[in-house]
This record gives sequence, C-alpha cells and structure tokens, in this order.
Amino acid sequence: MNVIPVVHFLYLAAILFSVGLVGVLTRKNALSVLMGVELMLNAVNINFLAFGKYWGVSSLPGQVFVVFIITIAAAEAAVALAIVISIYRQWRNVNVDEIHNLRG
Amino acid sequence: MTAIVFYAVASIVVLSALMVVTLKNLFHCALFLAVAMFGISGVFLFLGSEFLAAVQVLIYVGAVTILVIFGIMLTRNVMDEKIPARNSQVPLSLLVGASFLFVVLFALYQWVTLPPGPAPAAAPDLMNNLYALGPALILPTNGFAFAFEFVSILLLSALVGAIVIARKDPS
Repeated sequence: MNVIPVVHFLYLAAILFSVGLVGVLTRKNALSVLMGVELMLNAVNINFLAFGKYWGVSSLPGQVFVVFIITIAAAEAAVALAIVISIYRQWRNVNVDEIHNLRG
Repeated sequence: MTAIVFYAVASIVVLSALMVVTLKNLFHCALFLAVAMFGISGVFLFLGSEFLAAVQVLIYVGAVTILVIFGIMLTRNVMDEKIPARNSQVPLSLLVGASFLFVVLFALYQWVTLPPGPAPAAAPDLMNNLYALGPALILPTNGFAFAFEFVSILLLSALVGAIVIARKDPS
C-alpha cells in the first residue's frame, strides 16, 4: 500500500475539487449544484485521509474529521433536498438563476 | 500491481466526476455520481481506512445519491431538454476552475521536492484501525467527544428542519 506517493492522492483530490467547483458554478439546476458540492466535499475527505497517512504516526484525527464531514454532508443533503422541493412547490422551477425574489 | 489498480480507480473517479458535471440528463448525472462515490470509497481503501470506505458506500451510494434521485423525480418536468443545462457564466467558471487547479497542482508539485514526512507507522492492520477509531470518536480524553456530540445535535436538528421545510404549508 505504500507504493503510491501521498501526493498523488492530493493530485486526485485537487482535480476532483476543481471538477466539482466548475459544476457548482456552471449548472442551472439546483440538484446539479448539490451534486457538485458533494464532489467537492469528497475531494476534501480524500485530502484529510491523505494527510493522515502522510503524518503516519496516527492517522486517527484525519479519519475522525472525515466522519464529521460525512455527517455534515448528510445533513446538508437532507436540508438542500427539502429546500429544493419547497422551491419547486412554490415556483414550479428549480433553476438557481431564475429564483431571484430576494434580489434588491 | 497496487499502483495500477489505484490509477485505474482514480481515472474512473475523475471520468465519472466529469460526467456528473457535463451530462445533460440529470438522472444519468446522479448515476455517475454513484459510480464516483464507489471509486472514492476504493481510494479510501488505498488510504488504509476500511471503515470509512464502508461508510462511504453506505452513506453516499446508499443515501445521498438516492435522495438526489428522489429530488430529480419529484421535480421531473423541470428537466426539459430544450432548456440549456448551463448558465451564461461557463467561460468564467472554466477559467476559475482551471486557475484553481493550476495553482494547487503547482503547489503540490513544489511540495514533492520537500523531504517526505515522518516515517509511516508499521503497516496498520484492519482490526487495530477499527478498534482505534471508536474510542477516538467518543472518549472524552481525546478531545473529539464534544465535537461528536455537537455534530449529533446538528444532524438531528438538520433532519427536523428538513421535515419542517419540506412539509406542506398547513394554511
């Protein structure tokens, strides 16, 4: 398991984060934006575990943080889905650039 | 051999992430998200955390992707093929993403030349890893117990809030 340099995991995480970022910035549908956010969160998880492996002595803090991130991501997905459904009921539309009632 | 498997899994993850971002059909996007999450759980295995790999499959493939698919089905008629799936800021977003990626990869490339970190511990085996993670989460002496309780309350309140937000207005 030690044949792969830690920095390759970081490369993978950086690529994944950028792809998720582009998805969040470009997609119209709120659900696509949510999927992009999930990709970014998982990139961060890979980073945490990779640095935990890098420090070597005990990778436990990295794993504990990943547990917290997964929990918060689940909460975020539940609330985001509720908001999407609520918005859809109100406007029959979930495109994030057409819902601008709060714009001044 | 291990390296070949890792790079195959990594390329699967990156390709399906690209599919998630570029495909027009939202349902296909969600399915490719599930593939990407499977691949990421494989990456977790390479990082030596078997428990989190299983949790990743359970939570992301089993719960989050299914939630997203429910959302897609509940807002079905929004997925009109005639409406463009992307907004007008694609070039700017690509510029932002590419420059972020360039900066991070450049920094990592510089970092390669630094000396490697502390020597990794003796190959951690599965059971030691598992037995260590539980106490690390909930023992008060480790400093994570408060965060654990806090995140539990956060999860509970988020679920209650989700129900309240998605509920039909009684009036």
